[in-house]
Amino acid sequence: MTKNIHEKEFWLVLILFVLLLIFPFLLTRFYIYLLALIFVSGLAAMSLNLVLGYGGIYQFHHAVFYGVGAYGAALTITKLGHSPWIGFLVGPLLAAFLSLVMGAICVRLSKLYFGMLQISLGSLVWAIVYRWYSFTGGDDGIHGVSMPALIGSTKGSYYFALLVTGACLMTMYFIVKSPFGSTLQGIRDNPVRSEAVGVNVRLHQLVALVIAGFFAGVAGVLFVVVDNSAFPDMLFWTLSLEILIMCLLGGWLTFLGPMLGAAIMVALRTFASTFTEYWTLIQGIILMLVIIFLPEGVLGYVNAKFRQLGDVTSRGKA
Amino acid sequence: MPYSKIGDDIIVRYEGPLDSSGMVGRLRPTGLLCGMGVDKESLMEAIMKKGVITGTGVVLVWFLAASFSFGADTIKVGIIDTYTGPATAYTFDVLDGFKMAVNKVNARGGAPGKKIEFLTRDEKFKPDIGLAMAKELVLKENVDVLMGTINSATALAVSDFARKERIPFFVTFSKSDKITGEQGHRYVFQITENTLMAGRAAAFELAKKPFVKYWIAGDDYEYGHAIADGVWTQLKKLKPGVQKLGESWWKVGETDFTPYITAILAAKPDFIIVATGGSGMVNFQKAAKATGLAQKVPFYQHTAIELSTLEPQGLDAPEGVYGTANYLFYYPDTSENKAFVEEFRKTYNRYPKIGALYGYVTGVLIEKGFAKAGKVDKEKFINAVQGMLIDSPVGKLELRACDHQLMLPMFFGVTKKVSQYPFLIASDIVIILAKDYMPTCEEIKALRK
Amino acid sequence: MEFSSSICPPEILCQILVGLSRTTILFIVASGLTLILGVLRIPNIAHGSLYMIGAFIAFSVSKWFGGGTTGFWMAVALAPFAVALISLVVERGIFAHLYEREHLMLLLLTFSLALILGDLVKMVWGGEYRTVQLPGSFKGPIPLASLPIPIYNIFLIIIGPVVALGLWLLANKTKIGKISRAAAVDREMVGAVGVNVSWVFAIVFVIGCFLAGMGGALVSPIVNITLGMDHTLIIEAFLIVIIGGLGNVWGALLGALIFGLTQSLGILIWPQFGIVFPYAAVVTVLIFRPTGLLKSTW
Repeated sequence: MTKNIHEKEFWLVLILFVLLLIFPFLLTRFYIYLLALIFVSGLAAMSLNLVLGYGGIYQFHHAVFYGVGAYGAALTITKLGHSPWIGFLVGPLLAAFLSLVMGAICVRLSKLYFGMLQISLGSLVWAIVYRWYSFTGGDDGIHGVSMPALIGSTKGSYYFALLVTGACLMTMYFIVKSPFGSTLQGIRDNPVRSEAVGVNVRLHQLVALVIAGFFAGVAGVLFVVVDNSAFPDMLFWTLSLEILIMCLLGGWLTFLGPMLGAAIMVALRTFASTFTEYWTLIQGIILMLVIIFLPEGVLGYVNAKFRQLGDVTSRGKA
Repeated sequence: MPYSKIGDDIIVRYEGPLDSSGMVGRLRPTGLLCGMGVDKESLMEAIMKKGVITGTGVVLVWFLAASFSFGADTIKVGIIDTYTGPATAYTFDVLDGFKMAVNKVNARGGAPGKKIEFLTRDEKFKPDIGLAMAKELVLKENVDVLMGTINSATALAVSDFARKERIPFFVTFSKSDKITGEQGHRYVFQITENTLMAGRAAAFELAKKPFVKYWIAGDDYEYGHAIADGVWTQLKKLKPGVQKLGESWWKVGETDFTPYITAILAAKPDFIIVATGGSGMVNFQKAAKATGLAQKVPFYQHTAIELSTLEPQGLDAPEGVYGTANYLFYYPDTSENKAFVEEFRKTYNRYPKIGALYGYVTGVLIEKGFAKAGKVDKEKFINAVQGMLIDSPVGKLELRACDHQLMLPMFFGVTKKVSQYPFLIASDIVIILAKDYMPTCEEIKALRK
Repeated sequence: MEFSSSICPPEILCQILVGLSRTTILFIVASGLTLILGVLRIPNIAHGSLYMIGAFIAFSVSKWFGGGTTGFWMAVALAPFAVALISLVVERGIFAHLYEREHLMLLLLTFSLALILGDLVKMVWGGEYRTVQLPGSFKGPIPLASLPIPIYNIFLIIIGPVVALGLWLLANKTKIGKISRAAAVDREMVGAVGVNVSWVFAIVFVIGCFLAGMGGALVSPIVNITLGMDHTLIIEAFLIVIIGGLGNVWGALLGALIFGLTQSLGILIWPQFGIVFPYAAVVTVLIFRPTGLLKSTW
């Protein structure tokens, strides 16, 4: 029974992937760009969910790693003059390193305290990037980052984003399904019991944080590829909350939930503004409705409907 | 028991012989209750959940469908600006000034014969959203001209995009000097003054004054530092004897300046250059009034004499504050200015602030540019509009060809209370002509290397 | 990098007094936040929005009464009640049904409320800058050893401890205060004893939001009332609550003091980076005492 369901989900994802490959030939440039943006935000949200949904860690300032990844790549290319491919490596590695440092400081705490300390530290990083204008361009940000011709165009950046995101998602899936992933979920559900069983809770959480930071950095790099810019706003706490909302909206207890949440948010944001200048209001109302009535997010709700058929582990919580 | 539902508390009293862990004792009643269906969500909940999902879906599809506009034969202008947060105090004026110009053009039948239509997008002062919206306007709505924004980071990012897409972009409020300076190019135009220009204009007048010992303070972001640098570098050039005693920088959005003011006063400078922006302008002036700063040590702020800074404070604004501004609705008292103010007041029921001038002039430029070009061709439009001379409420203005910067006159004055207005205005006004304070074409060329 | 030329006693005293007046506003807002967090366990991100609404309502009330002295006092008196009313509606309508949810959900719920309230303020009051006039007797400075201290700042310094005292009396000497403290520690037990916990929560929530509105009203004359006020304040308020200890009103006072004083004294020492000092203080406290300086209620 379980094996059949695995196959069913696998085919669904495969079909979706093929469709995404074909889309650029059917859609106008704008929608290609929009999809690429969804991949970027979605990857950031997915990386957050690694520690939030699967790890139960209150990662309140995830955007720092996303922004550092972007700045790492952008600065390597513009200020240090290296080839973009080196920039693509520097970004995530820098983000992972920062995650290691911040994680080591914060991981002693739990829940709300972890979140608040992370916000303070993250804001400190933001302040440095923001004020060091001679190096980082300050609040003007960095623009016109040059890309290799292959991935510079709208279609090119789309395919690059699609392939990189797909690879990252597959890696994340294997991580989640691995013993490491299961231990992480165990820690989330009952840290005391896990410790009693012999699991090094802090170390596990730290490793998870570094992995999440790395993937967030990748998302940041993809942003630079798609938009050729980096902005200090990418490290600000409001973006962290937005990424959190994407996880929640889509379903933080499912695997692909955050990606769906990102798609909804980006789509809403783009299309709502053609209508009204009060789209924050609409965003707030929809968010409130989802929290009240769909606490497991859209995908969580869909999965619950197929409860009899679905794979138990795809819900993340027994 | 169907009266119970999820969320209710049920107390179970004594279920039978207990085993050691009590597990059986807990599982049996749970099983019984669930079998009765108490754990299923109620009908109401189920409906609400389905409702939320379908509702969101419907809203999304509706937005998607409605956003397909079928362009008529018009000149389309896409405006990206911040209509959320403190910057809104300035940007609504830009939009209203632009609308006024456009309505006049369309009433006359358009230019040339084509009406101007515009779309607005709120970037919420976030450059990534601003850039995404610029892309949406160009790639989906196929606008002919881009316009906006008050956020310099957005302006620079959109400028880069405009260059790639070869679409003209008029910057209406962002003050970074990189826009027409080192990152300038054929497709970007700046209507508003930039920090370098403002600084040089201020230095032009300050050099004539007797102050020697200066203190520099301001909002700790790009704009603040740029204005301060602009003033100080030029002042040092014009009057080498000036000394800088020190600097103070506070976070953007700071509300309590008293500690900074007292610290500065302790150092005893002759004059303070205060580089605040946006809402910091009013906050600083309020603190200055409360501490009586202007009467102890005079200070200068760019836009200190402007209506957006002075009007909210009413008669409580501090007197004796030096400032520069590009538009004052009461000066010069020419017929063009009076007519403009009259029309603006009639349409919008308030006095026009600086943004109104920027928006209005942009509208005029777009109209005249396309009229001269003869057709809706972007390259022809750019060729037509650069170097163009237009009439405006502040006199004849030239859109300089070498850097696409509008050559605005700058007004330098001191705040003063007068009887005819419920707010302070500028007095002892000196007009500084654009050619006297703008960087020359050679300097711009050198920057763009 | 510039250090101030001389640091002698009158200037330090001046900076301390000024730092204290800043503390008052921070304390009033943070105390409301910590009450809500301590008793209801809700991290209320909308607190900043309520503060902003308080300031805007103060503006409207002051304008309605024609500004000046009457306008100011009516504004300070009425605005907090208006905000309290709004919060009552929100609490009964939305929060009352959701107390059992996880903290994360509640946090995001209050965030969505903050988004909604922010746009509602824009709809009602528009985007222009507003200000409130000070009453004549409060305008201008008092000279203190040749350095001016605005009279209004002294007024704020006096108000701070008054509010603190009021809250202490409320918490310790009134029946509702004692019940709330009990509910903060063990809500189930309080409910089992027969108290209507739901209404206790409502009252505490309303009081907390009343304080937010009061903070907004008190700050309205000295600050530019604008959209976006909520964002700048909420992070500072949260950090103060965290370093003070969740639910501890005295902790909020201590935290606000640390914040206000480190900033104003920091400016004297290192004017260019004065802003760094309060954040550095916060990080230091959190590293050494992660649960806050004083005892929290959780």
